[in-house]
Amino acid sequence: MNSIKEFMACDKPDGYAEKLLSELRKANERLNAFNNITEHLADGMPFSVKDNICVKGVETTASSKILKGYIPAFNATAVQRMLDNGFSFLGKTNMDEFGFGSFGINSENPARNPFDESYAAGGSSSGAAVATSILKHHVAIAESTGGSISAPAAFCGVVGFTPTYGAISRYGLIDYANSLDKIGIMARSASDIKYVFGILNGPDAKDTTSLDIKYKSENKKSIILIDQLIKNIDKDVESNFMGFVDRIEGMGYVIKHRSMPFIDKAIPSYYIIAMAEASTNLAKYTGFKYGFKNEDFTSNYNKFFTDARSAFGTEAKRRIVLGTFVRSASVKDRYYSQALKLRALLLQELNKLLSEGFILSPTMPIKVPKLEDVKKLSALENYKMDVMTIPPNLCGLPHISFPYAYKNGMPLAAQLTTSHGNDNAALDFVQEWERSFKYKFKYNIGELR
Amino acid sequence: MKIGLEVHVSLPTESKLFCSCRTYAEEPNTAICPVCTGMPGSKPVLNERALSIAVNIARALMCKVPTATSFVRKVYFYPDLPKSFQITQKDGPVGVDGKLFLEDGKEIRIRRIQLEEDPAKILRQDDYTLIDFNRSGTPLVEIVTEPDILNEKELREFMTELKSILYYLGVDIDRELKADLNISLSDVRVEVKNITGTKNLLDAAKYEIERQEKAIKSKQGIIHETRSYIEKEMSTAPSREKESDEEYGFIFEPDLTIYSTKRTNPVKAVYASKLAKEYANKYKVKEAAMRELILFNRDALALIESSKGKYDMKAIITAIELLQRYVKGKSRTSSETLGKVASLVEKGMYPDKETILQIEAGKDTNLGGNAASTAEIDKEIKQLIKENSALLKEYKKNTKVFNFIVGSVMKKYKANPRLVSERLEKILSSFRQ
Repeated sequence: MNSIKEFMACDKPDGYAEKLLSELRKANERLNAFNNITEHLADGMPFSVKDNICVKGVETTASSKILKGYIPAFNATAVQRMLDNGFSFLGKTNMDEFGFGSFGINSENPARNPFDESYAAGGSSSGAAVATSILKHHVAIAESTGGSISAPAAFCGVVGFTPTYGAISRYGLIDYANSLDKIGIMARSASDIKYVFGILNGPDAKDTTSLDIKYKSENKKSIILIDQLIKNIDKDVESNFMGFVDRIEGMGYVIKHRSMPFIDKAIPSYYIIAMAEASTNLAKYTGFKYGFKNEDFTSNYNKFFTDARSAFGTEAKRRIVLGTFVRSASVKDRYYSQALKLRALLLQELNKLLSEGFILSPTMPIKVPKLEDVKKLSALENYKMDVMTIPPNLCGLPHISFPYAYKNGMPLAAQLTTSHGNDNAALDFVQEWERSFKYKFKYNIGELR
Repeated sequence: MKIGLEVHVSLPTESKLFCSCRTYAEEPNTAICPVCTGMPGSKPVLNERALSIAVNIARALMCKVPTATSFVRKVYFYPDLPKSFQITQKDGPVGVDGKLFLEDGKEIRIRRIQLEEDPAKILRQDDYTLIDFNRSGTPLVEIVTEPDILNEKELREFMTELKSILYYLGVDIDRELKADLNISLSDVRVEVKNITGTKNLLDAAKYEIERQEKAIKSKQGIIHETRSYIEKEMSTAPSREKESDEEYGFIFEPDLTIYSTKRTNPVKAVYASKLAKEYANKYKVKEAAMRELILFNRDALALIESSKGKYDMKAIITAIELLQRYVKGKSRTSSETLGKVASLVEKGMYPDKETILQIEAGKDTNLGGNAASTAEIDKEIKQLIKENSALLKEYKKNTKVFNFIVGSVMKKYKANPRLVSERLEKILSSFRQ
């Protein structure tokens, strides 16, 4: 029996919801997991929603000042499906503004790592990972464009699943880069995720790119390591990861080392496509109908728009400028069009490897960093942190991040990638791992005694 | 002189291009939803009916229609554009390299045809501006010609032919036509943007041709610029827009997919202009009369086609005119009714409203008999002239009397007014000699 079904079936003690909410609010003051928490928690399994996914009647800002006060008139399809299946809305989780970041620091109040508050929670779905790490019975609806589920799940020691592109409807998701955005799930076990994935996947008439396919679980009992990815990373991360690989071998998997052409082009291709699309998505924020606006309506519309758009954070502004550049007529062929070709090539190469087995890597090239330290990173150093998470994200491949060890009290995580539509294989693999490895958490808010 | 056109026509769909809102509503901002107001989180879903109509337009204008079509984002900032980008087509339009023939057979090349969404409507008041999003997201087709139109006459003809072809595809563009006019008398191109309606388009062209002619004669020169049409003054003036080609930063619309044009329901194009010429030659009637009758009249065309060869075409034309005058609210008159009316006309009769309605209702058993002979008509005319001789002396000035006599004879004998008029003229002129 799965823990969600168990939780839904059991009787909660009187005042359960109130106690949960008050403990959560207290923890949230320190950890900044939530941008807002519901006043009344209904019966049913609590679920949180990343703040770039619309919940009817609840302020949805994608952690951006420019969307302050935006209250959607509709539920995202994913949210509606959760509500229709006995889940209770708990609150909106913190994130890097519009999903722009790998550490959660591009938010007014960055989320903090529950294992140690001086450490980063990862991003951009930082709050979703923190919430999962501190709540005993809860699932998080998160979103990944280039690694926004894997990265924070890794740093906060939870399981983060990003399905095949199109598996979960994007209707109601505030776009970062539409051809890359995927709604996904975080939980404390692969089996909880599998249960929720069963509810959320499937076609949606409101999202043209949603898929209508059967999700498989095919396992060739082989693990592919892409050598270029595992070199040039933190030495501790590398040695711990190779130790983990030995354990996987012990579980009966054949380990294969491979090198992959064009893998070094994944980061630039990703950032070019992501920024090009982001710069068009962010064009709509002109302070006209919702969110931040200049109260002075007497200026001309160009000045009015410019004033409103000053509310974007630094990283958002950077991506608007770069994204507008790479799609401009004079350089489009050199950047945007080239990146699209490389994406197709990279998918081809990844598919070749996936025909042999699953691809495994550390989730992040570094150990969980201190908040102080990531704030010092340059934009380029930041982007390089996505080296492991970008390949599957760029190509829309399902992948899952899960903890495999704890060092100095902080989790270390690995990421498994499978082929399009073989989503359940990724979940089943982690379920298999969980039989011999128990995850640790510092908080268990809402625990039933 | 070279004229090129970009014509925008709105498509007759029930719902908008990317959402299920109605395409029209009286009250401002009532046919709107998160998609057509660009609310964060909303996603476009293509109205396949609109695609179908656009593909049929491309086929009717003899375009190459690619097997797959796709959309792009065209980014620019303007208050009527809620997403700050318009979903339109660029590399994958519904049609390219088409053509349209003018009356004399001259070919005007069509460069491309694309499907796109209309922005909202801006209503400028004295010191503020209102925006009505009812129009936002309604489907438009943009038809771009090569600069093959060489004068005002060709421009007028082009518009007539285009409108007729679109009319027969169910796209009535009289009300909602918008066009950009590219016009160059020298080697400098001037664009007149956002002209509404065919009349304004022709007036704008006329003004612009005269303006450029004068400028060339006076050696003032013409500058490459964008102008707008001022309806009140029937003139054009430089618009405030920038002259340089704007940077739209087109990218593929990633919320949509690639659509097959094969799935669309093909509708056969009707070239009424060509048919008018054919029928005019075949049935020995005036081409102008035939064009007048069928260019924008699918019922008339259907009636002609259903009665081909059975009656004299002149009688058919008269019968159709009569039926359309008297049988209102009926979209289609049966070919049987047409036949009966036409046979009366052929006999020289001119059935009145009452008779037409009887035929239409199927109560026409006693309508047989023959039309009055010319002798009978002459006799009646002469009688009436005798009764009104005083007034008739000045009949040239007094058309009332003339019409009275024609009317009386028509009524009595159900005679064709043309025939009666002819006879009356003849008799009157013989009196004077």
